[in-house]
Order: sequence, then C-alpha cells, then structure tokens
Amino acid sequence: MWTLQAAIGSAVLLALLCAGAWGLRAVSWEWVPDWLLRNAWWLPVLYAAYAAVRTVVVPRWRYRVHRWEVTADVVYTRVGWFSRQWQLVPVSRIQTVDHRQGWMERLFGVATLEVQTASHAGSSTIEGLGAADAQRISEELAERAAELRDDAT
Amino acid sequence: MSENPPPEEPRSRPGETERAGGEPPAGAGYAPRDPEHPAAPQEEAAAPGPGSGHEAAAEAEPAYRLSPLTLLTSPLNYLRSYLVPVVVALIAGTYSFNPWMLGGAAVAIAAMVLSGLVTWYTFRYQVGAERLEIRRGLINRSHRSIPLERIRGVDISSNPLHRMLGLAVVKIEAAAGGGGSEEGKLDAVTAEEAERLRRVLLRRRAHLRGEESAPAPAAAAPVPGGAAGPDESDTEVYFAMPASWYGYAVFSLGYLLTPFVALATLFGLISQGLGEAAGDRVGDTAYDLYRLAAEMAFSLLVAVAAVLVLVLLVAMPLFAVVSYALTHWRFTLLRRGDALVAERGLLTRQSVTLEKRRIRGHELLDNPLERTRSAVRLRAIVTGLGETATRAVLMPIGPRRRVEEVADRALTAFRGTLVRHPRAALGRRLLRAVAPFAVAAAAAAFLAPLWVAVLLALPALLGVPLGVDRYRSLGHGDDGRQVSVRSGSLRRVQAVVVRDAIIGWTWRQTLFQRRAGLADLELSVGAGSGGYSAIDASFTESVAFARGVTPEMVRPFLESGEPTETAESTESGGLRSRPGGDDARTGGESG
Repeated sequence: MWTLQAAIGSAVLLALLCAGAWGLRAVSWEWVPDWLLRNAWWLPVLYAAYAAVRTVVVPRWRYRVHRWEVTADVVYTRVGWFSRQWQLVPVSRIQTVDHRQGWMERLFGVATLEVQTASHAGSSTIEGLGAADAQRISEELAERAAELRDDAT
Repeated sequence: MSENPPPEEPRSRPGETERAGGEPPAGAGYAPRDPEHPAAPQEEAAAPGPGSGHEAAAEAEPAYRLSPLTLLTSPLNYLRSYLVPVVVALIAGTYSFNPWMLGGAAVAIAAMVLSGLVTWYTFRYQVGAERLEIRRGLINRSHRSIPLERIRGVDISSNPLHRMLGLAVVKIEAAAGGGGSEEGKLDAVTAEEAERLRRVLLRRRAHLRGEESAPAPAAAAPVPGGAAGPDESDTEVYFAMPASWYGYAVFSLGYLLTPFVALATLFGLISQGLGEAAGDRVGDTAYDLYRLAAEMAFSLLVAVAAVLVLVLLVAMPLFAVVSYALTHWRFTLLRRGDALVAERGLLTRQSVTLEKRRIRGHELLDNPLERTRSAVRLRAIVTGLGETATRAVLMPIGPRRRVEEVADRALTAFRGTLVRHPRAALGRRLLRAVAPFAVAAAAAAFLAPLWVAVLLALPALLGVPLGVDRYRSLGHGDDGRQVSVRSGSLRRVQAVVVRDAIIGWTWRQTLFQRRAGLADLELSVGAGSGGYSAIDASFTESVAFARGVTPEMVRPFLESGEPTETAESTESGGLRSRPGGDDARTGGESG
C-alpha cells in the first residue's frame, strides 16, 4: 500500500513538474534566463529518477523497520526508514484511542491506530494493522486505559 | 458616552432559574441582588459557620452582570484598537467636508458604544454549585458553562484604564476534554468582585475536589475553607524583586530590541496614515504637488529616523530597563494555599495563579550574555496553560544562586548532576553550526565576488564557538525525584520535570546518528511544551537512563535482560526489534 501511495503521490508531482516546465517554455517571460529555459526539462527527469527509487525502496525499508507491540501496560512502536523513531507510551496515560481507515486502507483491509496522550509529543500511531486487529486492539486499549487511568495528565 | 444604564430588571429571568446543579434553588440565596454590590460579606460570613458551611459552599449565587463601568471601558478599548482609522477618517472628513467620512466615523463610534451597551446588557455570569455559567450575546446567544472542578486557575489583570476605574478583568482557565483549553473571561468587574470571585471559585473547586478524594464530607464540613481552599492567612511570600534586578534587562535581547519594535510600529502607523491620506486625495488636481510634498516628507522622515536610531542605540540599555521595569514592576512570587501566585507589572498589573498540583516542573532559561553574569530566569511547566511564554514566568532574570534558592523553596530544585553527551555529539553540533555557511561561502567563492564569500565565511567561523557551546550545554540527568535535560546555546533551556509527569519516551535516530551511536531522546510531558529533548545522547546510555527513571515502562522492551550490555547489537542498540513475552503481539505492514 505504501508503494501505491508513493507511486500516486510521485505521479501527481511529476505531472505538475512537467506541466510547470512546459508552461515555462511556452510562456517564456523575458526575465527568465535563457539557460534555465533550455534545461527546464531536467527537473522532471531528475525527480522521476528519485521517485522511482522512493517508490521501490522506501516502502520495503519502512516495512522492515516497522514494529509495534502492545503489552498490558505499555504501547511500543518503532517506525521510520531513514531516521527511526522508537516510542513508548504507558497505557495508563492514554487519553483517547482512535482507529481510522482511509479509502486506500479500506481497499487493502488495513487500518491505522492512533493513541493520544495529554502531550502532543507523546502520541503515537500504528499504521497498517489488519482492520479486525485494529478494532480489537483499540477496544482493549480503551478499556485498559480506563482501568488504569490515574489523575495525573 | 454618558448613557444611563437601562432600567433595572429582575436579575433572574424565567429561563435562568433552573440551574445545572440540579438542586432546588435556595430561596434567599437566589433572590435578585444589586449587581454592583455583590453579597460578598454574607457569603463569607456564612461559609465558616458550622453545619451551614457545607450548604454555603454548595449553594448557587445569583447571576451577576459585569460592572456598569464596562459601558465606559469597552468602547474605549475598541476605540484604542481602531484609533488610527477613525482619527484619519475624522480629520480627512472635516478637512474636505466629506459627509460620508464623517458619518462613517460617527457610526463607528456609535457602534462601539452600542456594542458595549449590548454586551453589558446581555452578559451574565453565575457561580453555581458545580459550574460557572456565562451567558452572553443578543443575536448569537452563547452559554458557556465551566465545571468548577475543571478550573485550573483564575487570573486577574487590569490595565491603567481599568485601574483608574477600580475594575479588573478576570480570566478563568479551564481544561476542556481532549486537552483543549477553554476560557471564560469577565471583562470587567470591580476589583473587589474579582478578588471575591477568585476566592469563591477556588474554594468551591477545592470543596468539590476535596469531597471526591476524601469521602468524609462530615469531617470536611466544619472547615470548608481550611480543608484545601486558599485562605488569605495561608500565604507565604517567596520572592519580591529587589531594585537592582531591573538592571538585568540589559542582558535580555528581547528587551534591547523592544524600542525598535515600537519604532517600527510607529513608522507603520505613520506610513499607513500617509497612505490613507493620499488615497483620499487621489482625485485632486494637486496630486503632483502632494507627491512632491510626500517625497519631501519622506526624506525628512528618513533623516528623523536616522537620528532616532542613533539616539536609540545610545539609549537602548535605558529603554530596555524602562520597558522591562514596566512589565516586571514589583515582581512578587508567593504561595497562597496550594497555589503559586506571580504578580507583576506597573501599568497593567497581572496576577497569575498556578495551582501546585498542576505544576510538573520548571525551566531555567538563559542566554550567553546572561551566562557571563550567571543570571537565569525561572519558568514553570504547567498543564493546561496558554501563553506560557509570559504567564508561566515564576522569576525574572536574576542571579542563579538566588533563583535556585527560590525554586527550591517554591518547588523542588534539581539536585542531580547532568550527564555529558558523547564526543560524537560535539562533531554534530559543530557541523550543524558551521556547515551551512561554510558551504555557502565555498559556493560563493566560485560563483560570486570575493567579498560575498568572506561575508559568508564570517558566520561560519562564528559557528565554531557556537557549536562548542551548544555541545557543552547538552546534558541529561536524574536525581531520583526529578529528571532534567538541557540544550541550546543562544537560548539555553534546562527543563526539570517530576518523574511522575513523564508520560512516554521517544527516541529518534537518523542514519548519521546511527553510525555515531547517538539518538535524540524526547520525554513526553502533558504540560509545558509537551516534550523535552536530550539531543544527541548516546543511544544505549539513554535507554539505560530511561530504564532508570521508569523501569516498569522500559524494561519489557529491552533486547535482553541487561540493557547496557547490548551495545554490540547495532541494529536497535538496547530496544529490541523483535517481539517477546506472552501477551505481546506484533504486526507489520501490508505492502
């Protein structure tokens, strides 16, 4: 799914860049230097190469890094590809648990679980859970959080 | 602006008689009363009485209006913010006898007076048994009810106009569900009423909470004020600002620049006024003449500005001290009951009440200039407080020893030592500080004239001491009760957070940091800015640190039994990448 998402995003941006380059040639404002006009097509090409790498490599990389774990007391996530992020959120401090499904996620039958605490820095998301799993875990977490809830935010 | 208030009408209209509390209205307490003279004495007298204490605290007050003097202040306040357009319109209108202009200005002023009248007429507040109700609005009616338990603080402030008339603005800060903040603002009530409101609100809240935590209302009833309520007798002054401290304003860059900001605003206003005046006369035949005059005026302005800037440069420290003194005049920090109260200001006296149980820690801030005189500022880390930059200030700039002493008395000072971050962090800090300008300078050396390159190389050189200083200020530590992290150079912040307040850990590591074995550790706190980072700490060491602070949170996720010995596992260095345990589940990603 990440691959598809990246592919769509790249395609849109590439189209925009092509249109931009073409428009630049077509309009030919006098203040645009000549060399820029001649080499305008380089930009989309460079971006296409980068986008190809990104679409193929990055999702696999991310998939390899991506881990999550829910124990009785703590939610642990590990995400990222180039830079990684480990996060620990104690269940007792969880304020809300959301689970979400975008249209593409529904196509693939996965869902995103979002765990929020009082601090915006302490909120974590788990992407790409199975939809049924996400549902179950979010309910369990909410229940458990209500049980353990202490007053301190 | 001399309209009389409309004829008095009964305070409690049919719609307002049913209250959120649910109990039947206590007849006497609910009778209409004069809004200008709130029944403070009766309320106070009734509260300490044995037996009646409980009911007194639970009974709802009648609905009050704001002070009628608001009729005067709110148009004036509006006027102040629209002063320039209105005055310009008036002058231009009189000058060219443009009836539309004059009429427009008159209508604007009339609208301000009218809106003040409407606000006063429709605004009502009522302290109920369990909530504070604020109703307002003629066309868009709004009804806000704030549960008393949720109130986090009551601020009282007054600008010179308010003080001349003996008024004050009361701001009630409350936490709405979901972490958002919802405020009630009473603009304005009489000063005594403001004080009374603060007392009543805080006492009732304490009462409600007291009953929650200790289910023995009989025991609490005889001393409703003494149980937890902030009593006037229970105050302790921690700090009153000595005169010499105003001099520290010189070290604060913000205050040094204040005159320039004021100047810029002034110029903005002038040019705006000129522009509008010009707009009015565009059709004129004297347009060319006007332009000439405007150009002359402009060059005159530039000359004046140059002189002014010169004067300012000389007088800058003086300005800084004066403007600093205006905002920090007689800064006082005291404890009233279970809350810290910080009062300050010469023209606008501001008083901020921070409940102690909402305070999660404190921050010590300084800049390089202040560090030369070892001066710091003290700021509280509080949950659910907006505009923290100005409102959470507990101490103005002052000698570090004194500030720490007060911090220790008012809160708890950090006693541990900070652990330095690894040498690799120094390289990264230096790279960050130097590299952008160095690269730009190198590029300029090839592409641009030499002086551009030299100009760019200067900040690159300056980056060296900056980077070193940034590295030197990095650190984190733990003294058993509190955790502290420190970073920054031009604005160095040492945050001290109570252990219990930590609601999560986050490690971030880029590819470059991974090679050096470093990571940024962020501790999430449900207060202040939300998270405080230890930048470029050693990854394994920081994991051990987090484990030391909250063992039950971190230990289940360590790679093996002993975390510090897992340094050889470069892949995740301490935190495991594979699931384990019985009740743990893993998931990955569907591609």
